[in-house]
Amino acid sequence: MGRPVASKMTKTLTLFNQTFILHPSGAMFWEEEDLLVISDVHLGKVSHFRKFGSAVPQKAIAGNFKKMDEVIGFFDPSKIAFLGDLFHSSLNKEWLLFEQWMETVSAEVILVEGNHDIISPLKYEALGIFITSEMVIKNFLFTHHPEEREGFFNFSGHIHPGVKINGHGRQQLKLSCFFKSKDQLILPAFGEFTGKHILIPQGDDEVYVVTKEEVIYLND
Amino acid sequence: MESWKAFLEGKHGLLNAPTGSGKTYALWIPIVLDYIKQNPDYKTKHKPGLKAIWITPLRALSVEIEQAANRFAQDLGSQLTVGIRTGDTSQKLRAAQKRQMPDLLITTPESLQLLLASKGYEKVFQDLNAIVIDEWHELLGTKRGVQIELALSRLKTVAPKMKIWGISATIGNLQEAREVLLGPGSKAFENSVLIRADIQKKITVKSIIPEKMETFPWRGHLGLHLIDEVVPIIRKSRTTLLFTNTRSQCEIWFQRILQKYPEFAGELAMHHGSINKETRLWVEQAIRDEQLKAVVATSSLDLGVDFAPVETIIQIGGPKGVARFLQRAGRSGHQPGKESVIYFLPTHAMELIEASALQKAVKNTVVEDRIPYLNSFDVLVQYLTTLAVSDGFFPKDIYPEVKSTFCYQALSEEQWEWLLNFITQGSQTLQAYDEYKKVEIEENGLFKVNNRAVAMRHRLQIGTIVSDAVLAVKYLGGGYIGTIEEWFISKLNPGDVFTFAGKNLELYQIKNMQVIVKKSKVKNSRFPSWAGGRMSFSAQMSELLREEMFVASEIEEASSAETSTELQAMHNIFQRQKRESIIPKKDEFLIETFKTREGYHAIFYPFEGRFVHEAMASLLAYRISLLSPITFSLAFNDYGFELLSDQQIDMQQVFDNDLFSAEYLMDDLQKSLNSTEMARRKFRDIAVIAGMVFTGFPNKMIKTKHLQSNSQLLFSVFRDYEPDNLLFQQAFRETFEHQLEEGRLRLAMERISEQKLVWKQCEKPTPFAFPIITDRMREKLSSEKLEDRIKKMMAQWGDL
Repeated sequence: MGRPVASKMTKTLTLFNQTFILHPSGAMFWEEEDLLVISDVHLGKVSHFRKFGSAVPQKAIAGNFKKMDEVIGFFDPSKIAFLGDLFHSSLNKEWLLFEQWMETVSAEVILVEGNHDIISPLKYEALGIFITSEMVIKNFLFTHHPEEREGFFNFSGHIHPGVKINGHGRQQLKLSCFFKSKDQLILPAFGEFTGKHILIPQGDDEVYVVTKEEVIYLND
Repeated sequence: MESWKAFLEGKHGLLNAPTGSGKTYALWIPIVLDYIKQNPDYKTKHKPGLKAIWITPLRALSVEIEQAANRFAQDLGSQLTVGIRTGDTSQKLRAAQKRQMPDLLITTPESLQLLLASKGYEKVFQDLNAIVIDEWHELLGTKRGVQIELALSRLKTVAPKMKIWGISATIGNLQEAREVLLGPGSKAFENSVLIRADIQKKITVKSIIPEKMETFPWRGHLGLHLIDEVVPIIRKSRTTLLFTNTRSQCEIWFQRILQKYPEFAGELAMHHGSINKETRLWVEQAIRDEQLKAVVATSSLDLGVDFAPVETIIQIGGPKGVARFLQRAGRSGHQPGKESVIYFLPTHAMELIEASALQKAVKNTVVEDRIPYLNSFDVLVQYLTTLAVSDGFFPKDIYPEVKSTFCYQALSEEQWEWLLNFITQGSQTLQAYDEYKKVEIEENGLFKVNNRAVAMRHRLQIGTIVSDAVLAVKYLGGGYIGTIEEWFISKLNPGDVFTFAGKNLELYQIKNMQVIVKKSKVKNSRFPSWAGGRMSFSAQMSELLREEMFVASEIEEASSAETSTELQAMHNIFQRQKRESIIPKKDEFLIETFKTREGYHAIFYPFEGRFVHEAMASLLAYRISLLSPITFSLAFNDYGFELLSDQQIDMQQVFDNDLFSAEYLMDDLQKSLNSTEMARRKFRDIAVIAGMVFTGFPNKMIKTKHLQSNSQLLFSVFRDYEPDNLLFQQAFRETFEHQLEEGRLRLAMERISEQKLVWKQCEKPTPFAFPIITDRMREKLSSEKLEDRIKKMMAQWGDL
């Protein structure tokens, strides 16, 4: 606590007097709780493809772990929550890499289960990961699928949100984003080998696009 | 017949004969005669087993060929059996064929590969005496042609007695076509002939020009404004074929003719590749029986056998190439001594220049080359996996065979090793924790697929034509109507009405990759559009077009009398063009700039065909983007290209820095490709062919959107982690060789460097510019920082 964690590349949101820092990697840090939130990493996807004869470069596996190391190094949290789809597939050898990686992590790790998380909870618990279908801290609700619940602000993933923006000269960009509506914030997919789903902002929705270097608030 | 003699002497060869000129006769007969000669007791003793294969690029043609083969086999009392094996063949029949092959087999390139993927294939083919590749010119410039080259390289070893024959329509590079078919420097090539069937046919081209040019649209692609001029032509001849360039255009024309002239009901039919086979066959038979007055068709009727009653052809919209135009013209007037008549219907004003150019092309019989593929690693990966799926292979046996083909003549041993590593390890070095599964190396060195699931997926995916996901269209009460692209249907809701196969259909539901429909009486409906590559002018066509343009510029200057009717008809448009800008002369290169609500437009007119323009646009955009950060949207057609930006281009800087220079051409082009989407799109096909993206099980096909995003993700992953991957690099090479036509680009740049650059700052879009700036299919290129672009676009939101 008290570390200077916000920087030029991040954006800070204040919700119900709590401070949330959005990071270009797609992760989010809750300052008061010292909690790092990451959604939709889809580990094991590369190995899954390779196991079925599709020669996705093996080196891509390392990318996700490197990216997680970087963002953990940046915030140095005491707790990490994964908002589902941490593992893309059934057990494959990438799990062994994950086990090794877990040994390097000193923070407490929580997994809010997603639709792709079909690996036995026992395997996670053996690594000291606390596994749950949802997590409530204060009046904030953390789930994999976006949810609306009376009296709660919801953080979720699953959708892999993206937006399309247009400019003069028929320019168009599609970018991953944090997608905020009144009582909800959907995190972008953290994983390297994942796609995105384009959403159209309505009314009070707020969009924070992520690039490799920066989180940019799209005002309209 | 010359081909009989050559065949019976044991020669290989290429027979140059136009579509439907008795070519089946030219090769089936000697095949049967050869069997009779070798088996004198043929009448009493039938020797079973496969003796000859006939490859056709379109399975729709196989029935015709079967009928012809059966006729010859029976007339000569040979007892030979004939069979078909294509994607349409039932599982039951296939199994029966596997137990006992017919003597003469008619099949497609894909089905031939599938035979190589089945166990014990060597035994099936060992007594093969002949293989005929029909319509070789259609396969030559495609990856299906490469599949044939590879299959032949294998069969030459397995069936040493096999004679190889190709049949090709007239193309510019017939000699090369023979070399590709038989293998450069091979024994087969040494012992081969090229036979030209000299059938000189008189072709007359007539343009359909409206009375009043004022109503002629500046852009557009349907040509419906000329419907009233078309009907008298149809009435006048026995049967007329109307060729359209796309399937949606075909549907719309069919519908509109019937709406406006209901008396044609029952006498007008439609033919395109998405309509079910039975209907297509019925239409073909009805043409032959002279039951139809007219048929609206796409390229689905380009190939195949004769339709004697066809007297007249109407080509709607530019055919893009001379060879295709001639081939279509040749579909009419089949009786000896009759001339072929083809009408050209320009869909917009600029196409009148094409009409004029086509007239000349036909007079001087200019035809294009078909450029064969080189080093298509994706097809080779697929082929090697195919061999591993059936009986397995030893690399030392297969390498020389592969190397003997035209496509892989320059394949190096390093590349070969790389490919073997790729199919066995999924990359170059075996790493810990890897579970890559495809081809295994057994103890004796045999490369083999032992996993049944891998083998099954591979068999399902054999083929090199990558299409969008298609859904079957069926009536609620049953009855198959045809297939439709997923992306069109996904835009409709239940209850919406669309036109398909000439019927108005209401969407009931989409279930299990099937579109269930009901008949509808609603008049206003939507027309599906089918994707499909855009064609580009050939080099020959472009040159003719430039010449016409120069003629036009001179005529408009001198207003002389010696003008083609097409150019005269364009007088108003030329005048308008001259008022706003100029018509470039032979020594002039025209550049127009103007501003609209969309931004700053710069239009360049090389008149070199769409593909060359695509390359030149990205090259120029890249070079300009080096001067200062800028973002472009690029558009191109066969006449010129556009650079559109939110900033004004400093044209003086373009001139001062000599940005049209042919120096560092390759290097700059390569770099510009990295910033556009072209290579990314090519990679999609390569990834599918090489089996890196699985397209799904029949009726359970992965939606294209899913496949697309997978290969898009794959592209980025390769770029970031394995940029030296041969398949990844192939995407760039293919873009250069087949999309951008590097050679033509260089010539064009050299030509431009000798021309005078004429820069016109116009008030508004000119008639020449209009079709380009309204094109929605665009590339983009940017040298601005992503973060800066986002912020700038946000700032622009207010005034959009």
